[in-house]
Amino acid sequence: MFNFLLPSRIYLLIEKTLKFINSVFFPILLIGLTFALVISPPDYIQGDSVRIMYLHVPSAWIGLACFASMAFLSILNFIFKTKNFFLINKSLAPIGLLFTCLAIITGSLWGKPTWGAFWVWDARLTSMMVLMFFYFFLILSFKFIKDQDKLVKVSSLITILGSINLPIIKFSVDWWTTLHQPASISLGKSSKIDPSMLYPLILMLLVFLLFSALIFLMKYKTEIIRIKKKRIKSL
Amino acid sequence: MISDLIFMNGYGIYVWLSFVITLGMCSAIYVKTKKTLKKYEKEFLHELRNLSEQEKRKVLQKSKILNQISTTNREVI
Repeated sequence: MFNFLLPSRIYLLIEKTLKFINSVFFPILLIGLTFALVISPPDYIQGDSVRIMYLHVPSAWIGLACFASMAFLSILNFIFKTKNFFLINKSLAPIGLLFTCLAIITGSLWGKPTWGAFWVWDARLTSMMVLMFFYFFLILSFKFIKDQDKLVKVSSLITILGSINLPIIKFSVDWWTTLHQPASISLGKSSKIDPSMLYPLILMLLVFLLFSALIFLMKYKTEIIRIKKKRIKSL
Repeated sequence: MISDLIFMNGYGIYVWLSFVITLGMCSAIYVKTKKTLKKYEKEFLHELRNLSEQEKRKVLQKSKILNQISTTNREVI
Protein backbone atom coordinates (compact mmCIF):
# COMPACT_ATOMS: atom_id res chain seq x y z
CA MET A 1 0.00 0.00 0.00
CA PHE A 2 2.83 2.40 0.84
CA ASN A 3 5.23 1.10 -1.84
CA PHE A 4 5.77 4.60 -3.19
CA LEU A 5 7.62 5.33 0.07
CA LEU A 6 10.17 2.56 -0.43
CA PRO A 7 13.74 3.89 -0.12
CA SER A 8 14.66 2.42 -3.53
CA ARG A 9 11.91 4.50 -5.14
CA ILE A 10 12.72 7.79 -3.44
CA TYR A 11 16.49 7.69 -2.96
CA LEU A 12 17.30 9.56 -6.19
CA LEU A 13 14.46 12.00 -5.47
CA ILE A 14 16.04 12.70 -2.05
CA GLU A 15 19.35 13.47 -3.80
CA LYS A 16 17.70 15.89 -6.25
CA THR A 17 15.61 17.59 -3.54
CA LEU A 18 18.71 18.05 -1.33
CA LYS A 19 20.55 19.73 -4.21
CA PHE A 20 17.56 21.97 -4.94
CA ILE A 21 17.16 23.05 -1.28
CA ASN A 22 20.91 23.69 -0.97
CA SER A 23 20.76 25.98 -4.00
CA VAL A 24 17.77 28.09 -2.86
CA PHE A 25 18.21 28.08 0.93
CA PHE A 26 20.79 30.85 1.44
CA PRO A 27 19.17 33.47 -0.83
CA ILE A 28 15.79 32.87 0.90
CA LEU A 29 17.47 32.98 4.35
CA LEU A 30 19.10 36.33 3.52
CA ILE A 31 15.80 37.80 2.26
CA GLY A 32 13.99 36.45 5.35
CA LEU A 33 16.56 37.92 7.75
CA THR A 34 16.48 41.30 5.95
CA PHE A 35 12.71 41.46 6.27
CA ALA A 36 12.71 40.24 9.90
CA LEU A 37 15.50 42.51 11.16
CA VAL A 38 15.33 45.60 8.93
CA ILE A 39 12.28 46.05 6.72
CA SER A 40 9.41 44.96 9.02
CA PRO A 41 8.19 47.77 11.31
CA PRO A 42 8.43 47.75 15.13
CA ASP A 43 5.20 47.03 17.02
CA TYR A 44 3.38 50.05 18.47
CA ILE A 45 3.41 48.52 21.99
CA GLN A 46 6.24 45.96 22.03
CA GLY A 47 8.63 47.99 19.88
CA ASP A 48 11.51 46.11 18.23
CA SER A 49 11.18 43.12 20.57
CA VAL A 50 8.40 41.93 18.24
CA ARG A 51 11.15 40.84 15.80
CA ILE A 52 11.65 37.76 18.02
CA MET A 53 8.22 36.67 16.78
CA TYR A 54 9.78 35.83 13.38
CA LEU A 55 11.80 33.08 15.09
CA HIS A 56 9.51 32.12 17.95
CA VAL A 57 6.25 31.51 16.07
CA PRO A 58 7.60 29.40 13.14
CA SER A 59 9.73 27.39 15.62
CA ALA A 60 6.69 26.58 17.76
CA TRP A 61 4.59 25.67 14.70
CA ILE A 62 7.27 23.30 13.37
CA GLY A 63 7.86 21.75 16.82
CA LEU A 64 4.13 20.98 17.09
CA ALA A 65 3.75 19.90 13.45
CA CYS A 66 6.64 17.43 13.75
CA PHE A 67 5.13 15.78 16.81
CA ALA A 68 1.65 15.66 15.25
CA SER A 69 3.11 14.03 12.10
CA MET A 70 5.06 11.55 14.20
CA ALA A 71 1.97 10.60 16.22
CA PHE A 72 -0.02 10.12 13.00
CA LEU A 73 2.75 7.96 11.47
CA SER A 74 3.02 5.93 14.69
CA ILE A 75 -0.69 5.11 14.50
CA LEU A 76 -0.26 4.14 10.83
CA ASN A 77 2.74 2.03 11.82
CA PHE A 78 0.68 0.18 14.42
CA ILE A 79 -1.95 -0.58 11.77
CA PHE A 80 0.13 -1.27 8.64
CA LYS A 81 3.49 -2.31 10.20
CA THR A 82 5.46 -0.27 7.66
CA LYS A 83 9.09 0.12 8.73
CA ASN A 84 9.45 3.28 6.71
CA PHE A 85 7.16 5.21 9.05
CA PHE A 86 9.54 4.42 11.89
CA LEU A 87 12.48 5.70 9.82
CA ILE A 88 10.57 8.91 9.03
CA ASN A 89 9.78 9.38 12.74
CA LYS A 90 13.42 8.81 13.68
CA SER A 91 14.47 11.46 11.16
CA LEU A 92 11.78 13.93 12.29
CA ALA A 93 12.45 13.74 16.05
CA PRO A 94 15.68 15.84 16.18
CA ILE A 95 14.06 18.55 14.04
CA GLY A 96 11.06 18.66 16.39
CA LEU A 97 13.32 18.83 19.45
CA LEU A 98 15.45 21.60 17.92
CA PHE A 99 12.46 23.80 17.08
CA THR A 100 10.66 23.13 20.36
CA CYS A 101 13.82 24.17 22.26
CA LEU A 102 14.14 27.24 20.02
CA ALA A 103 10.49 28.17 20.64
CA ILE A 104 11.10 27.96 24.41
CA ILE A 105 14.41 29.88 24.35
CA THR A 106 13.23 32.66 22.00
CA GLY A 107 9.92 32.83 23.89
CA SER A 108 11.87 33.27 27.10
CA LEU A 109 13.97 36.06 25.54
CA TRP A 110 10.77 37.71 24.29
CA GLY A 111 9.11 37.27 27.69
CA LYS A 112 11.73 39.27 29.60
CA PRO A 113 11.09 42.67 27.94
CA THR A 114 7.35 41.98 27.49
CA TRP A 115 6.30 40.32 30.79
CA GLY A 116 9.31 41.23 32.91
CA ALA A 117 10.37 37.59 33.42
CA PHE A 118 12.23 34.99 31.41
CA TRP A 119 9.95 32.22 32.65
CA VAL A 120 6.54 31.88 34.27
CA TRP A 121 4.72 28.61 35.03
CA ASP A 122 2.05 29.56 32.55
CA ALA A 123 -0.10 26.82 30.90
CA ARG A 124 1.30 27.41 27.38
CA LEU A 125 4.93 27.51 28.50
CA THR A 126 4.60 24.50 30.78
CA SER A 127 2.84 22.40 28.12
CA MET A 128 5.60 23.31 25.61
CA MET A 129 8.16 22.17 28.16
CA VAL A 130 6.28 18.87 28.51
CA LEU A 131 6.47 18.50 24.70
CA MET A 132 10.23 19.06 24.88
CA PHE A 133 10.52 16.24 27.45
CA PHE A 134 8.54 13.89 25.19
CA TYR A 135 11.03 14.66 22.40
CA PHE A 136 13.89 13.95 24.83
CA PHE A 137 12.42 10.59 25.86
CA LEU A 138 11.89 9.70 22.23
CA ILE A 139 15.45 10.49 21.22
CA LEU A 140 16.79 8.67 24.28
CA SER A 141 14.76 5.60 23.29
CA PHE A 142 16.26 5.75 19.76
CA LYS A 143 19.71 5.90 21.29
CA PHE A 144 19.50 3.29 24.02
CA ILE A 145 16.97 0.61 22.98
CA LYS A 146 18.82 -1.86 20.76
CA ASP A 147 16.01 -4.37 20.12
CA GLN A 148 14.30 -3.08 16.95
CA ASP A 149 10.79 -4.45 17.67
CA LYS A 150 10.85 -3.12 21.23
CA LEU A 151 12.14 0.25 19.97
CA VAL A 152 9.31 0.60 17.44
CA LYS A 153 6.74 -0.17 20.16
CA VAL A 154 8.27 2.13 22.79
CA SER A 155 8.76 5.07 20.40
CA SER A 156 5.23 4.70 19.00
CA LEU A 157 3.85 4.63 22.53
CA ILE A 158 5.78 7.80 23.49
CA THR A 159 4.54 9.70 20.41
CA ILE A 160 0.93 8.56 20.81
CA LEU A 161 0.96 9.42 24.55
CA GLY A 162 2.69 12.74 23.82
CA SER A 163 0.08 13.65 21.23
CA ILE A 164 -2.43 14.10 24.10
CA ASN A 165 -0.36 17.16 24.99
CA LEU A 166 -0.84 18.78 21.55
CA PRO A 167 -4.44 19.98 22.01
CA ILE A 168 -3.47 21.11 25.52
CA ILE A 169 -0.73 23.32 24.02
CA LYS A 170 -3.06 24.65 21.31
CA PHE A 171 -6.00 25.47 23.57
CA SER A 172 -4.10 26.29 26.80
CA VAL A 173 -4.47 30.01 26.07
CA ASP A 174 -8.26 29.62 25.74
CA TRP A 175 -8.87 27.16 28.60
CA TRP A 176 -6.81 28.93 31.27
CA THR A 177 -5.95 32.52 32.14
CA THR A 178 -2.42 32.83 30.80
CA LEU A 179 0.19 35.50 30.21
CA HIS A 180 0.73 34.11 26.75
CA GLN A 181 -1.37 35.84 24.12
CA PRO A 182 -4.04 33.88 22.17
CA ALA A 183 -3.39 32.88 18.54
CA SER A 184 -3.23 35.81 16.13
CA ILE A 185 -3.25 33.59 13.05
CA SER A 186 -5.62 30.69 12.50
CA LEU A 187 -6.63 28.68 9.48
CA GLY A 188 -9.90 29.79 7.94
CA LYS A 189 -10.03 33.09 9.83
CA SER A 190 -8.64 36.44 8.78
CA SER A 191 -5.27 37.26 10.36
CA LYS A 192 -5.03 39.79 13.20
CA ILE A 193 -1.48 40.64 12.11
CA ASP A 194 -0.78 43.50 9.72
CA PRO A 195 0.57 42.34 6.30
CA SER A 196 3.82 44.27 6.97
CA MET A 197 4.51 41.72 9.74
CA LEU A 198 2.62 38.75 8.32
CA TYR A 199 4.73 38.48 5.12
CA PRO A 200 8.10 38.43 6.94
CA LEU A 201 6.60 35.82 9.29
CA ILE A 202 5.57 33.64 6.32
CA LEU A 203 9.01 34.15 4.77
CA MET A 204 10.76 33.03 7.98
CA LEU A 205 8.38 30.04 8.19
CA LEU A 206 9.49 29.11 4.67
CA VAL A 207 13.15 29.41 5.71
CA PHE A 208 12.58 27.13 8.72
CA LEU A 209 10.58 24.64 6.63
CA LEU A 210 13.37 24.47 4.03
CA PHE A 211 15.91 23.95 6.81
CA SER A 212 13.74 21.22 8.36
CA ALA A 213 13.42 19.50 4.97
CA LEU A 214 17.20 19.68 4.53
CA ILE A 215 17.89 18.08 7.92
CA PHE A 216 15.08 15.54 7.49
CA LEU A 217 16.36 14.38 4.09
CA MET A 218 19.95 14.10 5.31
CA LYS A 219 18.82 12.13 8.39
CA TYR A 220 16.56 9.89 6.31
CA LYS A 221 19.37 9.25 3.83
CA THR A 222 21.69 8.37 6.73
CA GLU A 223 19.14 5.88 8.08
CA ILE A 224 18.75 4.24 4.65
CA ILE A 225 22.53 3.91 4.22
CA ARG A 226 22.93 2.60 7.78
CA ILE A 227 20.41 -0.18 7.13
CA LYS A 228 21.78 -1.04 3.68
CA LYS A 229 25.33 -1.11 4.99
CA LYS A 230 24.33 -3.86 7.43
CA ARG A 231 22.76 -5.82 4.56
CA ILE A 232 25.76 -5.77 2.22
CA LYS A 233 27.30 -8.79 3.90
CA SER A 234 24.05 -10.69 4.19
CA LEU A 235 23.29 -10.38 0.46
CA MET B 1 20.77 53.88 11.14
CA ILE B 2 23.33 51.19 12.07
CA SER B 3 23.16 52.01 15.80
CA ASP B 4 19.33 51.81 15.53
CA LEU B 5 19.72 48.35 14.03
CA ILE B 6 22.14 47.26 16.76
CA PHE B 7 20.44 48.73 19.83
CA MET B 8 16.78 48.54 18.64
CA ASN B 9 15.62 51.02 21.29
CA GLY B 10 16.97 48.89 24.14
CA TYR B 11 15.60 45.58 22.81
CA GLY B 12 18.74 44.78 20.77
CA ILE B 13 20.22 42.40 23.33
CA TYR B 14 17.06 40.20 23.35
CA VAL B 15 16.52 40.33 19.57
CA TRP B 16 20.15 39.71 18.58
CA LEU B 17 20.60 37.01 21.22
CA SER B 18 17.51 35.21 19.85
CA PHE B 19 18.83 35.34 16.28
CA VAL B 20 22.37 34.32 17.29
CA ILE B 21 21.13 31.35 19.39
CA THR B 22 18.81 30.24 16.58
CA LEU B 23 21.53 30.46 13.92
CA GLY B 24 24.02 28.75 16.24
CA MET B 25 21.74 25.83 17.12
CA CYS B 26 20.63 25.37 13.49
CA SER B 27 24.24 25.47 12.25
CA ALA B 28 25.30 22.94 14.91
CA ILE B 29 22.57 20.45 13.97
CA TYR B 30 23.33 20.97 10.25
CA VAL B 31 27.05 20.28 10.73
CA LYS B 32 26.40 17.25 12.96
CA THR B 33 23.84 15.75 10.55
CA LYS B 34 26.09 16.30 7.52
CA LYS B 35 29.10 14.82 9.33
CA THR B 36 27.12 11.69 10.32
CA LEU B 37 25.84 11.27 6.75
CA LYS B 38 29.36 11.58 5.30
CA LYS B 39 30.65 9.08 7.88
CA TYR B 40 28.02 6.48 6.94
CA GLU B 41 28.53 7.09 3.20
CA LYS B 42 32.25 6.58 3.64
CA GLU B 43 31.77 3.39 5.69
CA PHE B 44 29.25 2.07 3.18
CA LEU B 45 31.59 2.66 0.24
CA HIS B 46 34.45 1.11 2.19
CA GLU B 47 32.36 -2.06 2.74
CA LEU B 48 31.54 -2.11 -0.96
CA ARG B 49 35.15 -1.59 -2.01
CA ASN B 50 36.27 -4.49 0.16
CA LEU B 51 34.11 -6.92 -1.83
CA SER B 52 35.57 -8.77 -4.79
CA GLU B 53 34.43 -7.62 -8.26
CA GLN B 54 32.14 -10.61 -8.55
CA GLU B 55 30.57 -10.07 -5.12
CA LYS B 56 30.21 -6.37 -5.81
CA ARG B 57 28.39 -7.04 -9.09
CA LYS B 58 26.14 -9.59 -7.38
CA VAL B 59 25.30 -7.21 -4.53
CA LEU B 60 24.55 -4.30 -6.86
CA GLN B 61 22.40 -6.46 -9.11
CA LYS B 62 20.35 -7.79 -6.21
CA SER B 63 19.63 -4.48 -4.54
CA LYS B 64 18.28 -1.48 -6.43
CA ILE B 65 18.91 0.87 -3.52
CA LEU B 66 22.53 -0.22 -3.06
CA ASN B 67 23.00 0.39 -6.76
CA GLN B 68 21.57 3.91 -6.40
CA ILE B 69 23.72 4.72 -3.36
CA SER B 70 26.88 3.60 -5.17
CA THR B 71 25.83 5.48 -8.35
CA THR B 72 25.36 8.77 -6.49
CA ASN B 73 28.83 8.32 -4.94
CA ARG B 74 30.51 6.94 -8.09
CA GLU B 75 33.47 9.31 -7.92
CA VAL B 76 34.39 7.88 -4.51
CA ILE B 77 34.32 4.19 -5.55
